[in-house]
Amino acid sequence: MLFLFAVICFAQEAEEPEKEREPGHLNQSKFRQMYDELSTPNTYRSASGAPGPDYYQQQADYNMDITLDDKNVKLYGEETITYYNNSPDDLEFLWVQLDQNVRAKDSKSPLRNGNGVDIAYTAGNFTQTYVTEPFDGGFNIDWVKDASGQPLSYTINQTMMRINIPQPLKSGENISFSIKWWYNINDRPNDGGRSGYEYYPEDGNRDYTIAQFFPRMAVYSDVEGWQNHQFWGNGEFALTFGNYNVNITVPADHIVDATGVLQNRKEVYTKDMMKRYEAAKKSYDKPVIIVTQEEATAKESSFAEKTKTWKFRTEAGAPVRDFAFATSRKYIMDAQAVKMGNRDVMAVSLYPKEGNPLWEEYSTKAVVQTLQTYSKFTFDYPYNKAISVSAKSIGMEYPMICFNFGRPNADGTVSDRTKFGMISVIIHEVGHNYFPMIVNSDERQWGWMDEGLDTFMQYLTEQEFGENFPDAVAPNEKYPSRRGDPSKIVPYMAGDQESISPIMSNPENVYQLGPNAYSKPATALNILRETVMGRDLFDHAFKTYAQRWMFKHPTPEDFFRTMEDASAVDLDWYWRSWFYTTDYVDIGVKGVKKYYVSNKVTKEMQEYMDARGITEADLPPLVYLASEDSENFDENLKGKAPTEVSQNLNEYMMDNMTAEERSQVEEPKYFYEITFDKPGGIPMPLIVEYTYADGTKENVTYPPEIWRKNDSEVSRVISSQKELVGIVVDPQQETADIDTTNNAWPKKEEKSDFDKFKEQVKG
Amino acid sequence: MFKVQSSKCFLPLTINWHKLCLFLKRTTHTMRKSLVFLVVLPLLAFSIGHKFYVTVTNVNYSDKDDAFQVTTRIFIDDFEEVLKERYGIDAYLATDKESAIADEYIEKYLRTKFLVHLNGEQATYNFIGKKYDDDVVICYIEIPDVGLETLKTMEFDNEILTDLFDEQKNIVHVKWNGNKRSFVMIKSNAKGMLNF
Repeated sequence: MLFLFAVICFAQEAEEPEKEREPGHLNQSKFRQMYDELSTPNTYRSASGAPGPDYYQQQADYNMDITLDDKNVKLYGEETITYYNNSPDDLEFLWVQLDQNVRAKDSKSPLRNGNGVDIAYTAGNFTQTYVTEPFDGGFNIDWVKDASGQPLSYTINQTMMRINIPQPLKSGENISFSIKWWYNINDRPNDGGRSGYEYYPEDGNRDYTIAQFFPRMAVYSDVEGWQNHQFWGNGEFALTFGNYNVNITVPADHIVDATGVLQNRKEVYTKDMMKRYEAAKKSYDKPVIIVTQEEATAKESSFAEKTKTWKFRTEAGAPVRDFAFATSRKYIMDAQAVKMGNRDVMAVSLYPKEGNPLWEEYSTKAVVQTLQTYSKFTFDYPYNKAISVSAKSIGMEYPMICFNFGRPNADGTVSDRTKFGMISVIIHEVGHNYFPMIVNSDERQWGWMDEGLDTFMQYLTEQEFGENFPDAVAPNEKYPSRRGDPSKIVPYMAGDQESISPIMSNPENVYQLGPNAYSKPATALNILRETVMGRDLFDHAFKTYAQRWMFKHPTPEDFFRTMEDASAVDLDWYWRSWFYTTDYVDIGVKGVKKYYVSNKVTKEMQEYMDARGITEADLPPLVYLASEDSENFDENLKGKAPTEVSQNLNEYMMDNMTAEERSQVEEPKYFYEITFDKPGGIPMPLIVEYTYADGTKENVTYPPEIWRKNDSEVSRVISSQKELVGIVVDPQQETADIDTTNNAWPKKEEKSDFDKFKEQVKG
Repeated sequence: MFKVQSSKCFLPLTINWHKLCLFLKRTTHTMRKSLVFLVVLPLLAFSIGHKFYVTVTNVNYSDKDDAFQVTTRIFIDDFEEVLKERYGIDAYLATDKESAIADEYIEKYLRTKFLVHLNGEQATYNFIGKKYDDDVVICYIEIPDVGLETLKTMEFDNEILTDLFDEQKNIVHVKWNGNKRSFVMIKSNAKGMLNF
């Protein structure tokens, strides 16, 4: 019995098919629609990507009195927030953001990263890490009161404060409450951060670039409910639109500028400044200096004991999502007017003498270019001014005002990289007015929605700056943009998969925030514009997105959907590959087979007929192509016209075409079956340059859908009167193909960078 | 936002991601992992704002030439500073008025601070030249006649910029016939030894 069983088993095993039946699978097509990835459209957000009929957003208005204690480096404030609940929900409590708590003594932010012992420490670094007490820069909340002055209970959880209102705030109602606070201002270049002061030991002065300095309402939306994800440091801000009325009290010798419109210019400007400001309002071609370097330098050695209050208000119809300001006695100031439709906007720069001669020459110029280019691609800049403030070693954006790096050497010389670094950062930060200050995406969740779109627009603006100011970019023929060109993203996309994340990742959790939130999305949009959609379709769709979501809160879906809605280009495959995966582009030529027309039945056809018991006579007249490596090939076929070789073809043409038609036909003599392969995961348009023996070239772009049924390889047949001598995939390197060694036929031996350089040097 | 750690280290504006601001640990076995986390930490808004001084040297064996092809990436402003301090030269690298003697002194400096020993003997190398890539200068060096088959040891002394910056880190990646090895050199430990 046992024996028998064993034999049967053996027999069964022997009879089993060689390959096991494969299991089924879900839809794995790269071209399937993104129903799984995108949230379902609803009445708040339409399937078109536009705001839906029930779209709402909250509003927070602020009245604030701010005082800077320049001597003790503290900032004091009292604010009244009026919060409008436009949502359909009743709110049991309110969440207020306390971003400064990220630098509180007990902040959890420094504890969230693993670390280890460094291979070495500088003494200073060691002291700061292990010896001295950490700086305490968190908010000190004196009180929170309701509109009648009664204390309101609150609970602070790290960087978020819950206001425990006694009654729910009903849908459609509003509430006013007040907060009094102060904090120690941080030494920004040394302690880090986006806001703070820079100390100038030579003259003992500071400049202050101050932001996220007041308790700010969190966003309540249809997508997140309360967006109260903690501020850990990388994920930036999610903020509600509103109107601001802010009084800033500083030493009387300071120059201040801020978000909003200055209400008491005559009180705070000198007569000379007023005169120059009036002149600047009419100067459309170059900036007018409003505070001169001499005037600013003269104040450096004194310290005003008296104070002045600068009053700023935002304008009706142009709400802001935030407020920031810059103040110092060191500031030089210039401004120029920019035409914006039927309005004028002021482009303004503030900088200490340490920024000159660089700032005087380029800052305002860069602001003007940014307003012009961005407005062309999105909407007219809706605010009254855009200010660029010099701030060592950072670039940071706020409504109407931003802080930018770029300082000349101590001897006044400026290297090209400092100059272009400064122009680029100013373009980038002023550009943030559009994304995310006006097209108000949630930076805390999606860094790329503002950084990526802004870096893309920055690239377009830099290129226009180069066209408008050829002298400024000489000897370069165009502006040397560091990001945007497809080739620049290749090292990142080709990098170690362990250290890269999809673009659709939270900024706190990515390994390399720069490529992740800035360069990769910017490059993806640039490729979309130049190679996938074309400029006209892209630009119209991009503008549609900007205008649909101007002064609103878009999500990634709203962007993806609008780009398709306004262009009729299905881009689900593109979003999925570029934004939802870490796939890369790698497309090549795998092989080329040459064929000639022959009158002999091919081996494959003979087998086909034999299997079915039919002969040639049973079939309509057939034309055959013999591959160069087959039995049917002989040298005589080369260069012959198909009708010379194939009687069937000749007869068919005589029966079906007139003599005149036949005389006009140019018969192809060469046939090629070309196999393209795709080691990379991203399907892209297959861009091919064919070169023929007479030196002529032909460019063919096969749509990305060519990969929809076979994601790894695809063949195409080319017929030609001329011999094909070369094939190059992506000849202009416009797809960010990470490996170009497989892009050519015949295969070219690619020299290493080292060998190329060596040859170049040796001449 | 853009954050720049120092004039050395534009982040994330000036993207030379692969070579910036390394956060390296002592043990070699965790080094690959640490490299993965590369440019992350300095981006934190409140990360300690000290400067990072890093050079990255790639040493690739070329079978065709039986040579090590060496490229060293050094921040231009650091290099300018050391040429100024050490030789009193205003090099004005990567500008129109770059000094005519800059190359000579760059070579002189490298020959002093970057030494390679093959099988215990100091290797003579050719300084082929330099080129610029954004804010770094790339120096090209070729070590000819390696004799890989009889090569037992390769030793690096990499003290580039350690004479100026105490916290300088010099990273060397060696690749030969599909093998890889990396070193991190610091002022107090500027040697790296490779056994074949």
